[in-house]
Amino acid sequence: MSSDVRFTDFKSDKQPTWCPGCGDFGTMNGMMKALAETGNDPDNTFVVAGIGCSGKIGTYMHSYALHGVHGRALPVGTGVKLSRPDIEVMVAGGDGDGFSIGAGHFVHAVRRNVDMTYIVMDNRIYGLTKGQASPTSRSDFETSTTPEGPKQPPVNPHALALASGATFIAQSFSSDALRHQEIIQEAIEHDGFGFVNVYSPCVTFNDVDTYDYFRDSLVDLKEDGHDPTDYEAAKTVILDADKEYQGVIYQDENSVPYRDQHGLTEDMSDIPAGAPEDAMDLVREFY
Amino acid sequence: MAEDLNWAIGGEAGDGIDSTGKIFAQALSRAGRHVFTSKDFASRIRGGYTAYKIRTSVDEVQSVVDRLDILVALTQRTIDENTDELHDGSAIIYDGERSWDADVPEYVTGVDVPLKSLAEDAGGAIMRNIVALGAACAITGFDVEYLDEALEKRFGGKGSKIVENNKEAARLGEKYVEDNYDLGLGYDLETTDNDYVLLNGNEALGMGALVAGCRFYAGYPITPATSIMEYLTGRIEEYGGHVVQAEDELSAINMALGSARAGARAMTATSGAGIDLMTETFGLVAASETPLVITDVMRSGPSTGMPTKQEQGDLNMALYGGHGEVPRFVVAPTSIDECFWKTIEAFNLAEKYQTPVFLVSDLAMSVTEQTFPPETFDMDAVEVDRGKLVDEGDVEEWLDDQGRFRAHADTEDGVSPRAIPGIADGAHMSTGLEHDEIGRRTEDTEVRVQQVDKRNRKVETAREREEFDYREFGDADADALVVSWGSNEGALIEALDSLEKEGVDLRVLSVPYIHPRPDLTAEFEAAEDVIVVECNANGQFADLLEHDTLTRVKRINKYTGVRFNADELAEEIKAKLTEEVPA
Ligand SMILES: Cc1ncc(C[n+]2csc(CCOP(=O)(O)OP(=O)(O)O)c2C)c(N)n1
Ligand code: SF4
Ligand SMILES: [Mg+2]
Repeated sequence: MSSDVRFTDFKSDKQPTWCPGCGDFGTMNGMMKALAETGNDPDNTFVVAGIGCSGKIGTYMHSYALHGVHGRALPVGTGVKLSRPDIEVMVAGGDGDGFSIGAGHFVHAVRRNVDMTYIVMDNRIYGLTKGQASPTSRSDFETSTTPEGPKQPPVNPHALALASGATFIAQSFSSDALRHQEIIQEAIEHDGFGFVNVYSPCVTFNDVDTYDYFRDSLVDLKEDGHDPTDYEAAKTVILDADKEYQGVIYQDENSVPYRDQHGLTEDMSDIPAGAPEDAMDLVREFY
Repeated sequence: MAEDLNWAIGGEAGDGIDSTGKIFAQALSRAGRHVFTSKDFASRIRGGYTAYKIRTSVDEVQSVVDRLDILVALTQRTIDENTDELHDGSAIIYDGERSWDADVPEYVTGVDVPLKSLAEDAGGAIMRNIVALGAACAITGFDVEYLDEALEKRFGGKGSKIVENNKEAARLGEKYVEDNYDLGLGYDLETTDNDYVLLNGNEALGMGALVAGCRFYAGYPITPATSIMEYLTGRIEEYGGHVVQAEDELSAINMALGSARAGARAMTATSGAGIDLMTETFGLVAASETPLVITDVMRSGPSTGMPTKQEQGDLNMALYGGHGEVPRFVVAPTSIDECFWKTIEAFNLAEKYQTPVFLVSDLAMSVTEQTFPPETFDMDAVEVDRGKLVDEGDVEEWLDDQGRFRAHADTEDGVSPRAIPGIADGAHMSTGLEHDEIGRRTEDTEVRVQQVDKRNRKVETAREREEFDYREFGDADADALVVSWGSNEGALIEALDSLEKEGVDLRVLSVPYIHPRPDLTAEFEAAEDVIVVECNANGQFADLLEHDTLTRVKRINKYTGVRFNADELAEEIKAKLTEEVPA
């Protein structure tokens, strides 16, 4: 990886079509800066994008990338990383993509602890389909499909991650550019599954979880003196439903990534031009 | 064909039926005899009954028949289940000391052997099935020493004492029969110096994947696909690969897709409901032009159906599964050894044409073991063709005027260059959205048409470049043409042999390529009768061939959950030949 990579190298020449003011602009900028800052370049980076407004990120960034099926971004990222330990893998998608249709994969991706970064662009709404309730929407949040609100509690992504055995859990806010980038950098550098939920406001369909709301309510865990290696402290933060916060909530310093658990070191793209030398041994097993 | 012997052991689940049967099959194979085993037959009464059948001959055997010569019955139920197939030269080995009173049909010879007591003499009652194997050796004139190697293979891991006890148990069984019976049933199993290996379709398929360079497998357990995953686990690592047990099939196929995009040869395999879940991603594999092998080991459906029973009901799913129009290859191996070769071919097709390849096998093939000379799996003949994989030097050639890699370039043959992560200047996005040459979303009508045509053209290119031919057996000039796909081939070949003896000549075409497939118009025109044989109720392959050739065919369909056997197939073909062609 070359050291002279600039974050703009991760930018494609396609102009984003997000609504002006959409949180996803800031979320993406932070991702690109963090990737460049951690020494990656587009040819050694694989971005997997979900489906949603958020999923358009695959088009607006420049790298090897796949924009796949709604909810299945994490499995794709897992396949890439396990086959190519040399490639930096970043998966990004919406709150619906990650915690509704893809919730099953989230739990198991967390458990597997594959060394990749997962960015959820959480706007607490379905943006692309024009404003239906998402799994992180408030229980009284009125939408076209939930006129009186969903009447069920929102998913707590951090709690879900912690319960699944996460080794890195963080929260950032797309408009706090410096902290957002810093937090994503830490997730990239974490040796294991780095999960960052990003408040990434939808200015068109969500008039509750707005920039002003987050600016007013966010507590920065770093300033608050929170120790992310303290599991009990992390638990307290995560289960406090009344608070919004940003920062690294939990990090297991003894994280053993999937790669090391399973002794994966090989570049699986490298295969011989014919059967391996000892292939007849496979046949002889059947004597 | 030389005289064949049909042997079976039956009892309750948990009686060690499979492992005992396998030991006998291996011993026969080591003695230079051909073996064909089966576990996939119906219970006539109720669940809980299990059996393992072996057909053996010095000639090649590739089907089950309606006859049973030697039966080891651990329960009365085993006898009752098999009375139809027993004849006046048959023998039943049973343990008269056990609590049940064996009711042996009068025309069959009962051989009462104190299996449990003799096993205890050898070191433990658990070895009673091995005593029975020894008894079977005595009845069939098969040297008990041939069991030794198979016993070492099976019990070697448990220490030499256990192995020796088992060998002793077999000898006690043999001796008991020799000392107490003078049967004169006339069985005398010939042996040869030939070397054979004994394997089932899923093992052949897994071995094919390994030597083809498959390095990543993701799957979710489901009968009868799981044994592919189990075969690869513990072996793929030797080559630097890995098997992941995913949380579901939605994930499994997407993991495999990720691996393939990262440049590995990747595969997933499933069955039944699992292929339904994977359907979600078929279109993405095709649209993103990802080389992926998707294996469906068919079992009886719909829904949970009969999960351990045979059916060839997923042909339409493999051909048409997924919304929109999804270009693809569908390949269905027709025999156990072909499971090996067609898997290798599937990986090559996938990479040469950057298209999903459906490798369609079935339950019967997956659980049946058959003997082959080891050179059937000639590793020097294995070719790996990675298609238009570009390296650093070639990338330049495929950049557009703004330096962007044209991963979906509209080429003459439809196949675009493929750059994998790490290749400088090859970075690009692929997507399930319609896209232009560089992978950007588009709804431009011209580009849309260009990309659809380009993806379809790959399959057309393959039609020209590859040989998607049928396998032919029997009399090429016969008036009667029988066509089949998948695992029915073996039973058909044997039916052919027996019909030939009765003066009925057949031309048999066994078709492993379902899409693209050979055009059979000329063959149908040359025949007076065309019969299509398949294990499903609706005749999915027959429909397809009628459509291809604009000719009505006769159909033989079986959907009991049990594969065809040669005798039954011969009878049905004879009957069909006298029927009118449907209007
Ligand atoms: C299987 C499937 N079901 C439904 C859709 C329609 N759909 C597209 S995006 C989306 C939800 C997007 O919400 P989120 O993941 O929060 O992303 P956002 O647009 O808010 O960034 C849905 C339901 C789809 N593409 N695929
Ligand atoms: S709808 Fe919402 S999430 Fe989508 S681009 Fe507009 S502001 Fe962003
Ligand atoms: Mg959303």
